[in-house]
Amino acid sequence: MADAVSPRRVAGPLLAVTVALVLADSAVVTLALPAILRHLDASVGQVAWVLIAFNLVLGVAAVPAAWAFTRARPRVFSAIGIAVFAGASAWCAVAGSIEVLVAARCLQALGGALALVGCLEQLVALYGERRGVATWVTGGVVGTATGPVLGGLLTETISWQAIFVVQVPFAVLAVPAALAVSAVPEVSPDRHRPAVRPNLTLALLSAALTAALFLLVLLLVEGWQRSPATAALTVSVVPLAALAARPLARLLKPPAPVEVASGCLLIAGGLAGLALPPSADLVWTLAPQALVGLGLGLTVDRLTAQAMELRLPRVRHAGWTIGARHLGVVLGLAILTPVFTDDLREAQAPAQEAIASIVLDAPLKSQDKISVAKALGRELTAEEGRVPDLHRAFVTLDVEPSERAALAELERDLDAQLERAATRAFRDSFLIGAGLSLLALATVMTPRRRTRP
Amino acid sequence: MNRQLSATALPALALALVGSVLWVQVANGGGAFEPLQPADPCVERTVTSRDEGIEGLTERLVLLGIDGAACILGVSRESLTLELAQPGPRTDEQIDALRRGLLSAVGRMKRDGTLPPASDLADEALANADLNGLLKKLILALPDSVIDAAVKTDDVLVRTINDLDLREVLADIDDQDDLNRQVNAAVTQAVKESLLQTLRDLV
Repeated sequence: MADAVSPRRVAGPLLAVTVALVLADSAVVTLALPAILRHLDASVGQVAWVLIAFNLVLGVAAVPAAWAFTRARPRVFSAIGIAVFAGASAWCAVAGSIEVLVAARCLQALGGALALVGCLEQLVALYGERRGVATWVTGGVVGTATGPVLGGLLTETISWQAIFVVQVPFAVLAVPAALAVSAVPEVSPDRHRPAVRPNLTLALLSAALTAALFLLVLLLVEGWQRSPATAALTVSVVPLAALAARPLARLLKPPAPVEVASGCLLIAGGLAGLALPPSADLVWTLAPQALVGLGLGLTVDRLTAQAMELRLPRVRHAGWTIGARHLGVVLGLAILTPVFTDDLREAQAPAQEAIASIVLDAPLKSQDKISVAKALGRELTAEEGRVPDLHRAFVTLDVEPSERAALAELERDLDAQLERAATRAFRDSFLIGAGLSLLALATVMTPRRRTRP
Repeated sequence: MNRQLSATALPALALALVGSVLWVQVANGGGAFEPLQPADPCVERTVTSRDEGIEGLTERLVLLGIDGAACILGVSRESLTLELAQPGPRTDEQIDALRRGLLSAVGRMKRDGTLPPASDLADEALANADLNGLLKKLILALPDSVIDAAVKTDDVLVRTINDLDLREVLADIDDQDDLNRQVNAAVTQAVKESLLQTLRDLV
């Protein structure tokens, strides 16, 4: 009896944690991107590939992994997937260049795809159909929601490499856990076609949510110069608001399409709100993020359930859902990355002009103005393509004590101009994200084709 | 909850939430949080300086001069400043606009009464001038009224601006010593010419 209970107690939670880790990895590095960008001396476009590569490989490999699973020994299949994921996570932690990190992320996603489909069937074998699927979905939701926050805290307290290091022991422990659970591969033929509409809506929403998390984090850390920990706490509004969605849906009992449509509208509204902050005060991001979180909670679970519900073989449809979500993230990054990198580049001229205007009119002695202009010029040239840290220019200046107050005020004014320029540069991308969410809403609102009797 | 209410309550709540958040953001300036727009350089502005004497006068003159030059070139003073701060060749158009801008700045300061009399600048100018020590002492002994009658600040500035090789000045913008040497030489020459002209007029 003890032998029968043991795997459920130990293996089940470890497999659920593995699911959470793999799906957390989709966005876990979001808050670490600025640190990676600086440490590996990469451009914004290159560093976006740390996210794109993982989601692209996971999205593309999910369906073939589900197909392969039905032809393999489940416990070995899962164990190999988790072991590859663990090894690739360790490789990510020691990557010395952006190219190596992207390659390691591809391998990590490949192992993750095998692990995800394997864990689904093993959790079903452990807990039964209903509870097993629910545990798998919950693990994924928890991982997706908490990933960016945990990633930010680890980056702030230790380093970006710590994000990958902490995953290794959990994944290593999950390998024997996977080997301990015997699941019978589901051999039912393809009875149902993939659920196109919920998967398409899920893909478009994932693209829109990428804007919410990826862009907001970059805006907070790079544009508004907040620490990763502050950014992590700020973006934790999204998962917290998502928790409120289920009680709200239970209270109002809307039909499923209405719930999803309302969620899409909330996400679109939240993203539009993020595009229009009145200042760089974090408080202006809270209400829009709450809308996004509420929308996320009303849509993702419901759409995943719609895509998998009563469709066989289960693992194949799970593969389609994973594919839709992660290819949606890739779609979002593919659309948004060039837009905001171009906008960031175009924002340089107005930002430099605003800085020049303030320095010219600053209440400083003319020699100090010239020293400030030279130091700023060096900093702006060195940070071509990125938002510069003007503080470095100011610490090098040697001015009379009577000038220090004016110099400190000038630094504050210039930082405010950079915040304004960065916020303006991100506006179009947030609005595109809102547009993607409205497109998702359109897929829900489009009437179904009538089927002939 | 009846069926119709359950179908409309959540969308209505979502619309209300979205509308409220966007209204609050826009009402507080959302959408207008953008970098400072450069001012029209053709519109006259008041310029001040923390410095006194020749340095303060030079700063105010340069600020007004860049405004004038930017107005002639049809660009903002900020973009012209950033362009001139970069190393590289200057176009004849830029040099000409800069000279005209500086000359019109002298005219404007004269009209405004913000040009100091020459006697206010004499001590500082003599300290920097490459003149015989005895001559310096003699000039310093002159009453202010004599200096102001003999040397007009606007005349000296106009002569200095016309004599200065602005292309060379811009090329040496990072070398403060070289810049001072060029400006001092031009100012000294302008004062000499101005004095000679005054003497000629007296004769």
